Amino acid sequence: MSTMLEADTLLAVDVGSINTRASLFDVVDGRYRLVATGKSTSTAGPPLFDVSEGVRNALDQVRSITGRKLVDESETLIIPATRDGSGVDVFVATTSAGPKVRTVLVGLMPGVSVESAHRLAASTYLDVVQEIGLMDRRREEEQIDVILAARPDLILIVGGTDGGAGASVVGMIDVTSLAANLLPEGQKPRVVYAGNRTLAASVVERFGDRTPVSLTPNLRPAIDQEDLEPARRVLSEVIADARASRISGFDELSHWSGGHLLPTAEAFGRVVRYLSRVYDRRKGVLGVDLGASQTTIAAAFDGDLRLSVYSDLGLGDALPGLLRHCEIDKVARWLPFEMAEGDIHDYLSNKALHPSTLPIEPVELHLEYALARQVLRAAIGLARLSWPEVRGTRGAESMPPLEPILASGAALARCPKPGYTVMVLLDALQPAGVSTLVLDPYSLMPAMGAAAGVLPMASVQVLESGSFVSLATVVSPVGHGRFGRPVLRLRLEREDGGETVEGEVRFGQMVVVPLGQGQHARLTLRPERGFDVGFGGPGRAGVLRVTGGAVGLVVDGRGRPMRLPVETVRRVELIQKWMWDLGAQL
Amino acid sequence: MATQYLYNVTHVVPLTTIRRERKLPVPGGVSVRIGQRVQASDILAEAQVTPRHYFLDIARGLGLPDREAVRHIRVNRGDRVEGGEVVAGPVGLSRRTVRAPADGRIAAISGSRVLLEVEGDPYGLRAGFPGVVTATDGTQVVTIETTGALIQGVWGNGRQEFGMMRLVGDGPDDLLQTDKLDINLRGAVLIAGMCDHPAPLHQATELSVRGVILGSLTSDLQTVAQRLPYPVIVTEGFGRLPINPMAYGLLTSNIGREAALDARPGGPHEADRPEVIIPLPSARELEVPDEVVPLTRGIRVRVLRAPHMGAVGVIQAIDEQAVPFPSGIIARAATVDLEGFGQVTVPLANLEALQ
Repeated sequence: MSTMLEADTLLAVDVGSINTRASLFDVVDGRYRLVATGKSTSTAGPPLFDVSEGVRNALDQVRSITGRKLVDESETLIIPATRDGSGVDVFVATTSAGPKVRTVLVGLMPGVSVESAHRLAASTYLDVVQEIGLMDRRREEEQIDVILAARPDLILIVGGTDGGAGASVVGMIDVTSLAANLLPEGQKPRVVYAGNRTLAASVVERFGDRTPVSLTPNLRPAIDQEDLEPARRVLSEVIADARASRISGFDELSHWSGGHLLPTAEAFGRVVRYLSRVYDRRKGVLGVDLGASQTTIAAAFDGDLRLSVYSDLGLGDALPGLLRHCEIDKVARWLPFEMAEGDIHDYLSNKALHPSTLPIEPVELHLEYALARQVLRAAIGLARLSWPEVRGTRGAESMPPLEPILASGAALARCPKPGYTVMVLLDALQPAGVSTLVLDPYSLMPAMGAAAGVLPMASVQVLESGSFVSLATVVSPVGHGRFGRPVLRLRLEREDGGETVEGEVRFGQMVVVPLGQGQHARLTLRPERGFDVGFGGPGRAGVLRVTGGAVGLVVDGRGRPMRLPVETVRRVELIQKWMWDLGAQL
Repeated sequence: MATQYLYNVTHVVPLTTIRRERKLPVPGGVSVRIGQRVQASDILAEAQVTPRHYFLDIARGLGLPDREAVRHIRVNRGDRVEGGEVVAGPVGLSRRTVRAPADGRIAAISGSRVLLEVEGDPYGLRAGFPGVVTATDGTQVVTIETTGALIQGVWGNGRQEFGMMRLVGDGPDDLLQTDKLDINLRGAVLIAGMCDHPAPLHQATELSVRGVILGSLTSDLQTVAQRLPYPVIVTEGFGRLPINPMAYGLLTSNIGREAALDARPGGPHEADRPEVIIPLPSARELEVPDEVVPLTRGIRVRVLRAPHMGAVGVIQAIDEQAVPFPSGIIARAATVDLEGFGQVTVPLANLEALQ
């Protein structure tokens, strides 16, 4: 059998709620390259509730493109690869499909361990349906009733610092274990203990044989210290088990991947964290994954990953959840035409009924991406609450310096024009200063994150290959002014000796300077007083090396935070103009 | 290339075998036997879904230290007790006891504390439609079967009922309006076209209707519909969409017959969809309708999105390559002969099989 070091063929499968993707990577000229991808309808939901069919169809597409036989006659993955070129050496799998894991959170102190536990839950596919804590005013028997009524898949217990007082934690565990043992066989939850390490043995004893407990290092070992990673790894297994109990086929994927079926969000976050250590450490790295059932926001600052999964924010069945975060007029404001709010509401409700459907009329496409903007806007607004303070952030409403910004998800990938994708990302994320927008058109981020554990070089090399599309380098001055007032002057000198571009950008303008993918240039920016592009304060000029993209260099002169005109006719006119300027017109 | 399937299938079938599994949320007791004929409103099984628990502090009740109090507990885990029955004691000269505050079961004994489980109102699992019990596990699951017409919808308000079907309005695209609802419709299941105002829905409540079947409902009426006492089933979606011709034809051809409405909300991740079952006798064995349909020429489909949302047709050809659409989206597609529109190219993702 090949060892990991000898391995040269990697197959990655990601099972989403709508699509199942298979991606085959091989070594070409000494570097890992994406060879083929296959995409199929996911079959995790009704009527099959079995992911195998979708996986087989995706693998079949890869086989038909490459001619490489991947599964044998019994439809089992051939691993390791054979001498005749069949099979693969390494297989990794990720999934975001299936229902969230119903979780009862048991914690000590609100604002301390409980807050850490909420961050942990929000970073993966947990749905906290009940919470029991030290400050709980309900009687113990009421707490038992609450746990029983919740019928949890998981009880997550946190609290206490390592070596700290344990009486309060033990009291809560007594109640929780009693409730867990009252649940009927077949409905017993998994228990994960991530609290005071010195109480671990006592916790296992209290739950007894009937309710197994998974122990993980304390997520809050000291009052000022938080470490979510070990607990996240254990939760990955719990989530995989919970899904396997409801949906067939996950066991097989888990077996093929050597027991490492990872949550998609976790794998996505791994890549973002890795990149934050590779790129300019003074800036953060942002990854957004806009899915049908959830939106994942991963931000990492010099290795410090902040991962958030929002299952009520997505572009498919999760769409009605958007209305819990905003009114419909917040969606309407992104449209390049007027539309009745009732019609937007009807569209949103119908899309939730049929999440895999596609917009084939221009009006529907604009509406779909207006929703995408607002979903991302709501998700990023929530995610930012958990980000650390970053030097260079200009005001509470402004984004911290980010380089690059990676965008993933089927809706963004199928956007008909790169200019349109740039427009959606600029409106939704409103980056500040200078950033590069990168699109993951084949949804490879989860595959790269999952492979990082077994084939680190594959992840690095594919990320550096042409499988990711650099959309644009964007300059977003922070500040405000009257429409038409100068914002900055720029000078772009191409390294290949091409024509030098000089010009002025005025407030309210969206300016595109052609600079192709792979082209580099020296960019001089001289912002006006009151506008900050990240050179140390408003009005400060600077020079930097920039790389081109599918759209080029984009200067977003709409100010930060962006304020759209309230008057509808004026707003619609401007949006149409900006789309035209970006080459986003349909 | 492996056979491709359409996983989105809506059943609109004039006569078929309908087999449905009914399941208690927790194990309980099944009160029917295999082969038994049941009516729509019959209770098939019952369970204690939300029992309440009470800690009885024996040490405190008996006025004894914990360790000593344990010796006076007279019940064991699992015992049934009646309200007033002695759980611990008597002790001392005053013969102090701790009694059960209500009928229940001893759920646990933890040190000197006894956890009493008091049963609440049981949850009853209804048949939902008249049929025959064909299987049960004896504790949680009952399968019932009938023959009849089946019309599946896309959204429901979560209620169930059974009643005689009556037609309201002049066609599948007619608006449900208050002036069309009169006393003659009392207690009926109404078949209407579309609804864009809450007034007729409230008036239907006044008439004690047993249900409303609509092609569509405007989105703002979802919350109104969820509060109604009768089931509302939407067959097409939200907005102003008429009931599809197949479903409308089937529903109207059965006017005067009784129908069971199961208006469960449905959704893309739910196994069960909102549906109308019209029990009909059959002299022959009928197959259960297919859950997935091979994607081939000749299958009947419905379009799920604009510009022909709700239109029904037959697949004429399946394109080998992805094709561009006016929005710029490129997708695999089929040529469909749509009733009233002719040959139209539609992305496969926007089609569902109508069977």
